[in-house]
Amino acid sequence: MLEIRFSGRGGQGVVMASQMLGFAFFKAGFYPQCFSVFGGERRGAPVVSFLRIDQEKILLKCGIKHPNEMIYLDDSLIDPQEVKSLLKSDGKILINTRQTVAAFKPLHAFTLGLVDARAISEQQGLGRTFNTAILGAYCRLSGKPSLEALMESIEEMVPAKKKANLAAARQAYERLEIK
Amino acid sequence: MKQFITGNHSVAEAARRCRPGIVAAYPITPQTPIYEKLSEMEASGELGGIMMRMESEHSSMAACISASLTGARTFTATSSQGLALMHEMLHFASGARTAIVMACVNRTLALPWAFWSDQTDTLSQRDTGWMQIYVEHNQEALDSVIQAFRIAEQVLLPCMVVLEANFISHFMEPVDVPSQEDVDSFLPEVNLPRRFDIDNPSYVAGVVSQSQYRDFKQLSQEAMYVAQETAEKVDQEFGSFFGRSYGLVEAQDLADAELVLVTSATITSTARVALRQLREKDHKIGLVKIRLFRPFPTEHVRKLLDPVSKIAVIDRNISLGREGIFCAEVKAALCNSPVKKQIQGYLAGIGGTDVDVDLIQRIVLDALSRDAFLDRPIWMKEE
Repeated sequence: MLEIRFSGRGGQGVVMASQMLGFAFFKAGFYPQCFSVFGGERRGAPVVSFLRIDQEKILLKCGIKHPNEMIYLDDSLIDPQEVKSLLKSDGKILINTRQTVAAFKPLHAFTLGLVDARAISEQQGLGRTFNTAILGAYCRLSGKPSLEALMESIEEMVPAKKKANLAAARQAYERLEIK
Repeated sequence: MKQFITGNHSVAEAARRCRPGIVAAYPITPQTPIYEKLSEMEASGELGGIMMRMESEHSSMAACISASLTGARTFTATSSQGLALMHEMLHFASGARTAIVMACVNRTLALPWAFWSDQTDTLSQRDTGWMQIYVEHNQEALDSVIQAFRIAEQVLLPCMVVLEANFISHFMEPVDVPSQEDVDSFLPEVNLPRRFDIDNPSYVAGVVSQSQYRDFKQLSQEAMYVAQETAEKVDQEFGSFFGRSYGLVEAQDLADAELVLVTSATITSTARVALRQLREKDHKIGLVKIRLFRPFPTEHVRKLLDPVSKIAVIDRNISLGREGIFCAEVKAALCNSPVKKQIQGYLAGIGGTDVDVDLIQRIVLDALSRDAFLDRPIWMKEE
Protein backbone atom coordinates (compact mmCIF):
# COMPACT_ATOMS: atom_id res chain seq x y z
CA MET A 1 0.00 0.00 0.00
CA LEU A 2 1.17 3.49 -0.86
CA GLU A 3 0.29 6.39 1.48
CA ILE A 4 0.70 10.00 0.33
CA ARG A 5 0.36 13.20 2.36
CA PHE A 6 -0.34 16.51 0.60
CA SER A 7 0.38 19.83 2.38
CA GLY A 8 -0.46 23.29 1.20
CA ARG A 9 -2.50 26.34 2.00
CA GLY A 10 -6.20 27.02 1.54
CA GLY A 11 -6.73 28.33 -2.01
CA GLN A 12 -3.83 26.40 -3.57
CA GLY A 13 -6.06 23.50 -4.59
CA VAL A 14 -4.55 20.94 -2.21
CA VAL A 15 -7.73 18.89 -1.83
CA MET A 16 -8.44 19.02 -5.56
CA ALA A 17 -4.85 17.91 -6.29
CA SER A 18 -5.21 14.84 -4.06
CA GLN A 19 -8.57 14.00 -5.65
CA MET A 20 -7.24 14.37 -9.20
CA LEU A 21 -4.28 12.12 -8.41
CA GLY A 22 -6.64 9.63 -6.74
CA PHE A 23 -8.82 9.67 -9.85
CA ALA A 24 -5.75 9.12 -12.05
CA PHE A 25 -4.83 6.04 -9.98
CA PHE A 26 -8.47 4.89 -10.20
CA LYS A 27 -8.30 5.24 -14.01
CA ALA A 28 -5.09 3.21 -13.97
CA GLY A 29 -6.90 0.33 -12.21
CA PHE A 30 -5.80 0.94 -8.62
CA TYR A 31 -8.00 1.19 -5.49
CA PRO A 32 -7.58 4.74 -4.13
CA GLN A 33 -8.94 6.38 -0.98
CA CYS A 34 -8.79 10.16 -0.63
CA PHE A 35 -9.60 12.34 2.39
CA SER A 36 -8.67 15.71 3.85
CA VAL A 37 -8.22 17.51 7.11
CA PHE A 38 -9.54 21.04 7.18
CA GLY A 39 -11.56 23.14 9.56
CA GLY A 40 -12.62 26.72 9.04
CA GLU A 41 -12.09 26.93 5.28
CA ARG A 42 -10.09 30.04 4.56
CA ARG A 43 -7.36 31.12 2.18
CA GLY A 44 -3.83 30.78 3.49
CA ALA A 45 -4.59 28.34 6.31
CA PRO A 46 -2.59 25.09 6.23
CA VAL A 47 -4.52 22.24 4.60
CA VAL A 48 -3.57 18.56 4.64
CA SER A 49 -4.99 15.94 2.32
CA PHE A 50 -4.31 12.21 2.12
CA LEU A 51 -4.30 9.50 -0.51
CA ARG A 52 -3.99 5.74 -0.01
CA ILE A 53 -3.39 3.49 -3.02
CA ASP A 54 -3.48 -0.27 -3.28
CA GLN A 55 -4.22 -3.02 -5.79
CA GLU A 56 -7.02 -4.37 -3.55
CA LYS A 57 -9.86 -2.85 -1.57
CA ILE A 58 -8.58 -0.79 1.39
CA LEU A 59 -10.47 -1.21 4.66
CA LEU A 60 -8.66 1.40 6.78
CA LYS A 61 -10.86 4.33 7.82
CA CYS A 62 -8.27 6.27 9.79
CA GLY A 63 -5.57 8.87 9.29
CA ILE A 64 -2.14 8.33 7.73
CA LYS A 65 0.61 8.68 10.35
CA HIS A 66 3.69 7.69 8.38
CA PRO A 67 3.32 8.34 4.65
CA ASN A 68 5.61 6.89 1.99
CA GLU A 69 5.48 10.14 0.09
CA MET A 70 4.92 13.80 0.97
CA ILE A 71 3.91 16.51 -1.46
CA TYR A 72 4.36 20.17 -0.51
CA LEU A 73 2.51 22.73 -2.59
CA ASP A 74 4.05 25.45 -0.41
CA ASP A 75 7.71 25.24 0.66
CA SER A 76 7.14 27.64 3.59
CA LEU A 77 5.27 24.83 5.35
CA ILE A 78 8.27 22.48 5.44
CA ASP A 79 9.60 21.72 8.90
CA PRO A 80 12.50 19.25 8.47
CA GLN A 81 11.95 17.84 11.99
CA GLU A 82 8.29 17.18 11.19
CA VAL A 83 9.17 15.56 7.87
CA LYS A 84 11.72 13.28 9.56
CA SER A 85 9.20 12.25 12.24
CA LEU A 86 6.47 11.49 9.68
CA LEU A 87 8.02 10.24 6.46
CA LYS A 88 9.14 6.61 6.10
CA SER A 89 12.96 6.33 5.91
CA ASP A 90 12.86 5.29 2.22
CA GLY A 91 10.29 8.01 1.50
CA LYS A 92 10.05 10.61 -1.24
CA ILE A 93 9.27 14.32 -1.02
CA LEU A 94 7.99 16.48 -3.85
CA ILE A 95 8.19 20.23 -3.37
CA ASN A 96 6.87 23.16 -5.37
CA THR A 97 9.67 25.66 -4.96
CA ARG A 98 11.87 28.29 -6.59
CA GLN A 99 14.81 27.24 -4.44
CA THR A 100 17.55 24.78 -5.35
CA VAL A 101 18.39 21.41 -3.82
CA ALA A 102 20.96 23.05 -1.50
CA ALA A 103 18.15 24.85 0.35
CA PHE A 104 16.74 21.50 1.52
CA LYS A 105 19.93 20.05 2.97
CA PRO A 106 18.28 18.60 6.13
CA LEU A 107 16.12 16.43 3.85
CA HIS A 108 18.89 14.99 1.71
CA ALA A 109 18.48 11.53 3.27
CA PHE A 110 15.20 11.22 1.34
CA THR A 111 14.54 11.13 -2.39
CA LEU A 112 13.81 14.74 -3.21
CA GLY A 113 11.86 16.10 -6.19
CA LEU A 114 11.85 19.84 -6.88
CA VAL A 115 9.77 21.71 -9.42
CA ASP A 116 8.78 25.34 -9.88
CA ALA A 117 5.15 24.44 -10.57
CA ARG A 118 4.01 27.99 -9.97
CA ALA A 119 6.28 29.45 -12.68
CA ILE A 120 5.30 26.71 -15.15
CA SER A 121 1.63 27.37 -14.53
CA GLU A 122 2.01 31.13 -14.81
CA GLN A 123 3.68 30.65 -18.21
CA GLN A 124 0.66 28.62 -19.29
CA GLY A 125 -1.66 31.45 -18.27
CA LEU A 126 -3.00 29.65 -15.21
CA GLY A 127 -2.17 32.45 -12.77
CA ARG A 128 -1.80 31.07 -9.28
CA THR A 129 -3.36 27.69 -9.98
CA PHE A 130 -0.53 25.20 -10.11
CA ASN A 131 -1.93 21.98 -8.67
CA THR A 132 -2.05 20.20 -12.03
CA ALA A 133 1.64 20.99 -12.62
CA ILE A 134 2.69 19.47 -9.31
CA LEU A 135 0.80 16.29 -10.24
CA GLY A 136 2.71 16.04 -13.53
CA ALA A 137 5.93 16.22 -11.53
CA TYR A 138 4.57 13.56 -9.18
CA CYS A 139 4.03 11.02 -11.97
CA ARG A 140 7.69 11.37 -12.94
CA LEU A 141 8.99 11.15 -9.34
CA SER A 142 6.86 8.17 -8.35
CA GLY A 143 6.77 6.35 -11.70
CA LYS A 144 2.99 5.85 -11.34
CA PRO A 145 0.34 6.47 -12.35
CA SER A 146 1.25 6.99 -15.99
CA LEU A 147 1.23 10.53 -17.32
CA GLU A 148 -1.58 9.41 -19.65
CA ALA A 149 -3.79 8.39 -16.70
CA LEU A 150 -3.13 11.76 -15.08
CA MET A 151 -3.99 13.55 -18.33
CA GLU A 152 -7.34 11.74 -18.46
CA SER A 153 -8.02 12.68 -14.86
CA ILE A 154 -7.18 16.37 -15.42
CA GLU A 155 -9.28 16.42 -18.59
CA GLU A 156 -12.31 15.15 -16.63
CA MET A 157 -11.89 17.01 -13.36
CA VAL A 158 -10.47 20.45 -14.15
CA PRO A 159 -13.36 22.88 -14.52
CA ALA A 160 -11.62 25.38 -16.89
CA LYS A 161 -8.51 25.96 -19.07
CA LYS A 162 -8.10 22.24 -19.69
CA LYS A 163 -5.44 22.65 -22.41
CA ALA A 164 -3.26 24.93 -20.27
CA ASN A 165 -3.55 22.56 -17.30
CA LEU A 166 -2.58 19.57 -19.43
CA ALA A 167 0.39 21.47 -20.85
CA ALA A 168 1.50 22.55 -17.35
CA ALA A 169 1.36 18.96 -16.07
CA ARG A 170 3.44 17.73 -19.03
CA GLN A 171 6.04 20.49 -18.64
CA ALA A 172 6.39 19.85 -14.91
CA TYR A 173 6.83 16.14 -15.67
CA GLU A 174 9.71 17.04 -17.97
CA ARG A 175 11.28 19.70 -15.78
CA LEU A 176 11.27 17.87 -12.44
CA GLU A 177 14.66 17.86 -10.75
CA ILE A 178 15.37 14.72 -8.73
CA LYS A 179 18.03 14.32 -6.09
CA MET B 1 -20.58 1.41 -13.02
CA LYS B 2 -17.65 1.98 -10.65
CA GLN B 3 -17.07 5.63 -9.79
CA PHE B 4 -14.49 7.30 -7.55
CA ILE B 5 -16.77 9.43 -5.36
CA THR B 6 -17.42 10.62 -1.81
CA GLY B 7 -20.04 9.18 0.54
CA ASN B 8 -22.13 12.34 0.18
CA HIS B 9 -22.01 12.01 -3.60
CA SER B 10 -22.96 8.33 -3.27
CA VAL B 11 -26.02 9.27 -1.21
CA ALA B 12 -27.11 11.86 -3.78
CA GLU B 13 -26.69 9.35 -6.64
CA ALA B 14 -28.79 6.82 -4.69
CA ALA B 15 -31.49 9.35 -3.82
CA ARG B 16 -31.79 10.50 -7.44
CA ARG B 17 -32.14 6.96 -8.73
CA CYS B 18 -35.00 6.39 -6.25
CA ARG B 19 -36.94 9.11 -8.13
CA PRO B 20 -38.08 11.23 -5.16
CA GLY B 21 -41.05 13.49 -5.84
CA ILE B 22 -39.86 15.97 -3.23
CA VAL B 23 -36.51 16.80 -1.66
CA ALA B 24 -36.88 19.46 1.05
CA ALA B 25 -33.62 20.38 2.77
CA TYR B 26 -31.36 22.97 4.30
CA PRO B 27 -27.54 22.91 4.02
CA ILE B 28 -25.25 22.21 6.96
CA THR B 29 -21.63 21.00 7.12
CA PRO B 30 -20.86 18.10 6.50
CA GLN B 31 -24.16 17.28 4.78
CA THR B 32 -23.99 20.26 2.38
CA PRO B 33 -22.48 18.38 -0.59
CA ILE B 34 -25.59 16.13 -0.64
CA TYR B 35 -27.75 19.26 -0.82
CA GLU B 36 -25.54 20.81 -3.52
CA LYS B 37 -25.44 17.65 -5.63
CA LEU B 38 -29.21 17.18 -5.51
CA SER B 39 -29.62 20.87 -6.32
CA GLU B 40 -27.38 20.48 -9.39
CA MET B 41 -29.33 17.39 -10.41
CA GLU B 42 -32.59 19.29 -10.16
CA ALA B 43 -31.18 22.16 -12.24
CA SER B 44 -30.00 19.76 -14.96
CA GLY B 45 -33.32 17.91 -14.95
CA GLU B 46 -31.74 14.66 -13.72
CA LEU B 47 -33.55 14.70 -10.37
CA GLY B 48 -37.01 14.47 -11.85
CA GLY B 49 -38.67 15.69 -8.66
CA ILE B 50 -38.86 19.06 -6.95
CA MET B 51 -36.12 20.37 -4.66
CA MET B 52 -37.43 22.72 -1.98
CA ARG B 53 -34.66 24.93 -0.56
CA MET B 54 -36.03 25.57 2.92
CA GLU B 55 -35.24 28.26 5.49
CA SER B 56 -34.42 25.80 8.30
CA GLU B 57 -34.26 22.11 9.13
CA HIS B 58 -37.45 22.39 11.20
CA SER B 59 -39.25 23.66 8.10
CA SER B 60 -37.53 21.04 5.94
CA MET B 61 -38.98 18.24 8.04
CA ALA B 62 -42.41 19.93 8.14
CA ALA B 63 -42.37 20.08 4.32
CA CYS B 64 -41.25 16.45 4.10
CA ILE B 65 -44.09 15.33 6.38
CA SER B 66 -46.71 17.10 4.25
CA ALA B 67 -45.14 15.79 1.04
CA SER B 68 -45.07 12.21 2.30
CA LEU B 69 -48.72 12.48 3.40
CA THR B 70 -49.72 13.51 -0.14
CA GLY B 71 -48.22 10.20 -1.27
CA ALA B 72 -44.93 11.55 -2.67
CA ARG B 73 -41.62 9.75 -2.26
CA THR B 74 -39.71 12.14 0.01
CA PHE B 75 -36.02 12.59 0.79
CA THR B 76 -33.99 14.96 2.93
CA ALA B 77 -30.56 15.13 4.57
CA THR B 78 -29.03 16.88 7.56
CA SER B 79 -26.39 16.80 10.31
CA SER B 80 -25.80 17.71 13.93
CA GLN B 81 -27.44 21.05 14.86
CA GLY B 82 -29.81 20.70 11.92
CA LEU B 83 -31.01 17.34 13.19
CA ALA B 84 -31.36 18.76 16.70
CA LEU B 85 -33.49 21.61 15.32
CA MET B 86 -35.67 19.04 13.54
CA HIS B 87 -36.24 17.09 16.74
CA GLU B 88 -39.86 18.19 17.32
CA MET B 89 -40.84 17.40 13.74
CA LEU B 90 -39.17 13.97 13.87
CA HIS B 91 -41.85 12.83 16.30
CA PHE B 92 -44.54 14.24 13.98
CA ALA B 93 -43.02 12.36 11.03
CA SER B 94 -43.12 8.97 12.75
CA GLY B 95 -46.41 9.65 14.56
CA ALA B 96 -48.06 10.45 11.22
CA ARG B 97 -46.57 7.22 9.83
CA THR B 98 -44.79 8.95 6.96
CA ALA B 99 -42.22 7.14 4.81
CA ILE B 100 -39.56 9.86 4.68
CA VAL B 101 -35.97 8.77 4.08
CA MET B 102 -33.30 11.03 5.55
CA ALA B 103 -29.54 10.81 5.21
CA CYS B 104 -27.92 11.95 8.46
CA VAL B 105 -24.22 12.78 8.41
CA ASN B 106 -22.90 12.34 11.95
CA ARG B 107 -21.23 15.45 13.30
CA THR B 108 -20.41 16.72 16.78
CA LEU B 109 -23.12 18.66 18.59
CA ALA B 110 -22.23 22.09 20.04
CA LEU B 111 -20.80 23.15 22.40
CA PRO B 112 -17.88 23.15 21.79
CA TRP B 113 -18.25 23.85 18.08
CA ALA B 114 -16.62 21.30 15.76
CA PHE B 115 -17.12 19.54 12.42
CA TRP B 116 -16.08 15.93 12.87
CA SER B 117 -17.76 12.57 13.19
CA ASP B 118 -19.56 11.78 16.44
CA GLN B 119 -22.68 9.62 16.56
CA THR B 120 -24.32 11.37 19.49
CA ASP B 121 -26.39 13.60 17.15
CA THR B 122 -28.35 10.71 15.60
CA LEU B 123 -28.31 8.46 18.65
CA SER B 124 -29.93 11.21 20.70
CA GLN B 125 -32.87 10.94 18.24
CA ARG B 126 -33.20 7.28 19.23
CA ASP B 127 -36.68 7.65 20.72
CA THR B 128 -38.30 9.65 17.93
CA GLY B 129 -39.82 6.58 16.29
CA TRP B 130 -37.50 6.61 13.25
CA MET B 131 -35.66 3.59 11.95
CA GLN B 132 -31.88 4.05 11.94
CA ILE B 133 -29.30 2.29 9.76
CA TYR B 134 -25.58 2.93 10.50
CA VAL B 135 -23.27 2.36 7.53
CA GLU B 136 -19.61 1.35 7.27
CA HIS B 137 -18.53 2.74 3.88
CA ASN B 138 -19.65 4.69 0.82
CA GLN B 139 -21.08 1.65 -0.98
CA GLU B 140 -23.19 0.75 2.04
CA ALA B 141 -24.40 4.37 2.27
CA LEU B 142 -25.58 4.25 -1.34
CA ASP B 143 -27.15 0.80 -1.03
CA SER B 144 -28.84 1.62 2.28
CA VAL B 145 -30.63 4.67 0.85
CA ILE B 146 -32.22 2.45 -1.82
CA GLN B 147 -33.12 -0.19 0.78
CA ALA B 148 -34.51 2.47 3.14
CA PHE B 149 -37.13 3.60 0.62
CA ARG B 150 -38.34 0.03 0.16
CA ILE B 151 -38.56 -0.56 3.92
CA ALA B 152 -40.06 2.81 4.89
CA GLU B 153 -42.76 2.72 2.21
CA GLN B 154 -43.70 -0.85 3.05
CA VAL B 155 -44.11 -0.36 6.82
CA LEU B 156 -44.96 3.38 6.88
CA LEU B 157 -42.21 4.45 9.22
CA PRO B 158 -39.54 7.05 8.43
CA CYS B 159 -35.93 5.92 8.15
CA MET B 160 -32.55 7.57 8.76
CA VAL B 161 -29.50 6.35 6.88
CA VAL B 162 -26.60 7.40 9.07
CA LEU B 163 -23.14 8.05 7.64
CA GLU B 164 -20.15 9.56 9.40
CA ALA B 165 -18.55 12.91 8.71
CA ASN B 166 -15.19 12.81 6.97
CA PHE B 167 -14.53 9.06 6.72
CA ILE B 168 -17.69 8.62 4.63
CA SER B 169 -19.13 12.05 3.83
CA HIS B 170 -15.97 13.59 2.34
CA PHE B 171 -14.10 10.35 1.76
CA MET B 172 -13.53 9.29 -1.86
CA GLU B 173 -13.35 5.61 -2.74
CA PRO B 174 -14.54 3.39 -5.60
CA VAL B 175 -18.31 2.89 -5.46
CA ASP B 176 -20.46 0.72 -7.70
CA VAL B 177 -23.26 3.05 -8.78
CA PRO B 178 -26.21 1.01 -10.07
CA SER B 179 -28.01 1.91 -13.27
CA GLN B 180 -31.39 3.65 -13.20
CA GLU B 181 -32.94 0.56 -14.79
CA ASP B 182 -31.68 -1.71 -12.00
CA VAL B 183 -32.89 0.63 -9.25
CA ASP B 184 -36.26 0.88 -11.01
CA SER B 185 -36.51 -2.92 -11.04
CA PHE B 186 -35.67 -3.18 -7.35
CA LEU B 187 -37.66 -0.22 -6.03
CA PRO B 188 -41.26 -0.14 -7.26
CA GLU B 189 -42.97 3.13 -8.15
CA VAL B 190 -44.18 4.99 -5.09
CA ASN B 191 -47.58 3.81 -3.89
CA LEU B 192 -48.19 5.49 -0.55
CA PRO B 193 -51.63 6.24 0.86
CA ARG B 194 -52.69 9.77 -0.13
CA ARG B 195 -53.74 11.16 3.22
CA PHE B 196 -53.38 14.85 2.48
CA ASP B 197 -55.27 16.51 -0.37
CA ILE B 198 -53.51 19.73 -1.35
CA ASP B 199 -56.60 20.99 -3.25
CA ASN B 200 -58.72 20.50 -0.20
CA PRO B 201 -56.34 20.96 2.73
CA SER B 202 -57.39 19.95 6.23
CA TYR B 203 -55.82 19.26 9.60
CA VAL B 204 -54.15 15.87 9.73
CA ALA B 205 -52.90 15.86 13.32
CA GLY B 206 -56.01 15.01 15.30
CA VAL B 207 -56.43 15.29 19.06
CA VAL B 208 -56.93 11.90 20.74
CA SER B 209 -57.87 10.51 24.14
CA GLN B 210 -55.39 8.89 26.52
CA SER B 211 -56.25 5.37 25.45
CA GLN B 212 -56.22 6.26 21.75
CA TYR B 213 -52.74 7.77 22.21
CA ARG B 214 -51.53 4.60 23.91
CA ASP B 215 -52.99 2.46 21.13
CA PHE B 216 -51.31 4.58 18.46
CA LYS B 217 -47.96 4.03 20.18
CA GLN B 218 -48.63 0.31 20.50
CA LEU B 219 -49.35 0.13 16.77
CA SER B 220 -46.13 1.99 16.02
CA GLN B 221 -44.17 -0.43 18.20
CA GLU B 222 -45.75 -3.35 16.35
CA ALA B 223 -44.83 -1.66 13.07
CA MET B 224 -41.22 -1.57 14.31
CA TYR B 225 -41.27 -5.38 14.72
CA VAL B 226 -42.59 -5.66 11.17
CA ALA B 227 -39.94 -3.17 10.06
CA GLN B 228 -37.19 -5.41 11.39
CA GLU B 229 -38.45 -8.39 9.38
CA THR B 230 -38.95 -6.17 6.36
CA ALA B 231 -35.45 -4.71 6.64
CA GLU B 232 -33.98 -8.20 6.70
CA LYS B 233 -36.02 -9.37 3.71
CA VAL B 234 -35.27 -6.22 1.71
CA ASP B 235 -31.54 -6.60 2.41
CA GLN B 236 -31.65 -10.23 1.26
CA GLU B 237 -33.53 -9.32 -1.92
CA PHE B 238 -31.08 -6.49 -2.49
CA GLY B 239 -28.30 -9.07 -2.14
CA SER B 240 -29.76 -11.41 -4.73
CA PHE B 241 -30.42 -8.51 -7.12
CA PHE B 242 -27.24 -6.43 -6.72
CA GLY B 243 -24.86 -9.00 -5.20
CA ARG B 244 -24.33 -6.97 -2.02
CA SER B 245 -26.05 -7.45 1.33
CA TYR B 246 -25.16 -6.43 4.85
CA GLY B 247 -27.57 -8.03 7.31
CA LEU B 248 -29.07 -6.24 10.29
CA VAL B 249 -26.12 -7.38 12.37
CA GLU B 250 -22.97 -8.85 10.84
CA ALA B 251 -20.72 -11.39 12.55
CA GLN B 252 -17.15 -12.38 11.69
CA ASP B 253 -14.97 -15.12 13.24
CA LEU B 254 -17.23 -15.88 16.21
CA ALA B 255 -16.73 -19.68 16.26
CA ASP B 256 -13.45 -19.77 18.19
CA ALA B 257 -13.51 -16.26 19.69
CA GLU B 258 -12.19 -15.73 23.22
CA LEU B 259 -13.51 -12.16 23.06
CA VAL B 260 -16.01 -10.45 20.77
CA LEU B 261 -15.63 -6.82 19.74
CA VAL B 262 -18.88 -4.98 18.97
CA THR B 263 -18.66 -1.98 16.62
CA SER B 264 -20.73 0.20 14.34
CA ALA B 265 -20.09 2.32 11.24
CA THR B 266 -16.55 3.11 9.97
CA ILE B 267 -14.71 1.85 13.05
CA THR B 268 -15.88 -1.62 11.95
CA SER B 269 -13.88 -1.39 8.74
CA THR B 270 -10.60 -0.52 10.50
CA ALA B 271 -11.39 -3.18 13.14
CA ARG B 272 -11.45 -5.85 10.41
CA VAL B 273 -7.77 -5.05 9.72
CA ALA B 274 -6.90 -4.79 13.43
CA LEU B 275 -8.46 -8.18 14.26
CA ARG B 276 -6.90 -9.91 11.25
CA GLN B 277 -3.46 -8.82 12.48
CA LEU B 278 -4.26 -9.98 16.03
CA ARG B 279 -5.31 -13.39 14.69
CA GLU B 280 -1.84 -13.74 13.16
CA LYS B 281 -0.53 -13.34 16.72
CA ASP B 282 -2.97 -16.01 17.90
CA HIS B 283 -5.50 -13.71 19.56
CA LYS B 284 -8.84 -15.10 18.44
CA ILE B 285 -11.21 -12.16 18.44
CA GLY B 286 -14.70 -12.13 16.92
CA LEU B 287 -16.41 -9.08 15.47
CA VAL B 288 -20.07 -8.06 15.56
CA LYS B 289 -21.16 -5.01 13.60
CA ILE B 290 -24.51 -3.48 14.47
CA ARG B 291 -26.03 -1.95 11.35
CA LEU B 292 -29.71 -1.58 12.25
CA PHE B 293 -30.05 0.37 15.50
CA ARG B 294 -33.81 1.07 15.41
CA PRO B 295 -35.63 -1.22 15.52
CA PHE B 296 -32.90 -2.85 17.62
CA PRO B 297 -32.36 -6.43 16.39
CA THR B 298 -32.34 -7.98 19.86
CA GLU B 299 -32.92 -11.59 18.68
CA HIS B 300 -30.06 -11.33 16.18
CA VAL B 301 -27.71 -9.92 18.80
CA ARG B 302 -28.73 -12.62 21.28
CA LYS B 303 -28.34 -15.42 18.78
CA LEU B 304 -24.76 -14.29 18.07
CA LEU B 305 -23.69 -13.22 21.55
CA ASP B 306 -25.62 -15.55 23.88
CA PRO B 307 -22.78 -18.11 23.93
CA VAL B 308 -20.06 -15.46 24.38
CA SER B 309 -18.79 -14.56 27.85
CA LYS B 310 -16.42 -11.63 27.13
CA ILE B 311 -17.49 -8.64 25.06
CA ALA B 312 -15.92 -5.24 24.36
CA VAL B 313 -18.01 -2.48 22.77
CA ILE B 314 -16.53 0.57 21.01
CA ASP B 315 -18.63 3.74 20.95
CA ARG B 316 -17.98 6.97 19.04
CA ASN B 317 -20.75 8.61 21.08
CA ILE B 318 -21.73 9.10 24.68
CA SER B 319 -24.87 9.43 26.74
CA LEU B 320 -23.37 11.73 29.36
CA GLY B 321 -23.87 10.40 32.85
CA ARG B 322 -24.18 6.87 31.53
CA GLU B 323 -21.92 5.37 28.83
CA GLY B 324 -21.57 4.70 25.11
CA ILE B 325 -25.03 4.15 23.64
CA PHE B 326 -24.32 0.99 21.61
CA CYS B 327 -22.78 -0.50 24.76
CA ALA B 328 -25.87 0.28 26.84
CA GLU B 329 -28.10 -1.24 24.13
CA VAL B 330 -25.98 -4.39 23.86
CA LYS B 331 -26.05 -4.84 27.65
CA ALA B 332 -29.84 -4.41 27.67
CA ALA B 333 -30.29 -6.89 24.83
CA LEU B 334 -28.24 -9.54 26.66
CA CYS B 335 -29.65 -9.19 30.17
CA ASN B 336 -31.75 -12.37 29.80
CA SER B 337 -28.93 -14.33 28.22
CA PRO B 338 -28.30 -17.73 29.90
CA VAL B 339 -24.48 -17.36 29.79
CA LYS B 340 -22.99 -14.97 32.34
CA LYS B 341 -21.20 -12.10 30.63
CA GLN B 342 -18.56 -9.51 31.14
CA ILE B 343 -19.13 -6.47 28.93
CA GLN B 344 -16.71 -3.55 28.84
CA GLY B 345 -17.51 -0.28 27.09
CA TYR B 346 -14.75 1.76 25.42
CA LEU B 347 -15.15 5.32 24.18
CA ALA B 348 -13.04 5.89 21.09
CA GLY B 349 -13.25 8.39 18.28
CA ILE B 350 -15.41 10.89 20.12
CA GLY B 351 -15.18 14.33 18.54
CA GLY B 352 -13.97 12.67 15.34
CA THR B 353 -10.63 11.70 16.87
CA ASP B 354 -8.73 9.06 14.93
CA VAL B 355 -9.47 5.39 15.63
CA ASP B 356 -6.66 3.48 13.95
CA VAL B 357 -5.56 -0.15 13.95
CA ASP B 358 -3.29 0.44 16.93
CA LEU B 359 -6.03 1.98 19.08
CA ILE B 360 -8.45 -0.87 18.32
CA GLN B 361 -5.77 -3.43 19.18
CA ARG B 362 -5.08 -1.65 22.47
CA ILE B 363 -8.80 -1.88 23.29
CA VAL B 364 -8.87 -5.60 22.54
CA LEU B 365 -5.68 -6.32 24.51
CA ASP B 366 -7.00 -4.32 27.45
CA ALA B 367 -10.24 -6.31 27.48
CA LEU B 368 -8.37 -9.62 27.15
CA SER B 369 -6.11 -8.93 30.11
CA ARG B 370 -8.67 -7.27 32.34
CA ASP B 371 -9.78 -9.02 35.54
CA ALA B 372 -12.45 -6.54 36.50
CA PHE B 373 -14.93 -5.33 33.90
CA LEU B 374 -16.17 -1.88 34.84
CA ASP B 375 -19.67 -0.45 34.77
CA ARG B 376 -18.14 2.83 33.60
CA PRO B 377 -16.77 3.24 30.08
CA ILE B 378 -13.02 3.53 29.50
CA TRP B 379 -11.80 6.55 27.50
CA MET B 380 -9.29 5.52 24.86
CA LYS B 381 -7.02 8.12 23.29
CA GLU B 382 -4.48 8.21 20.48
CA GLU B 383 -0.87 7.70 21.65
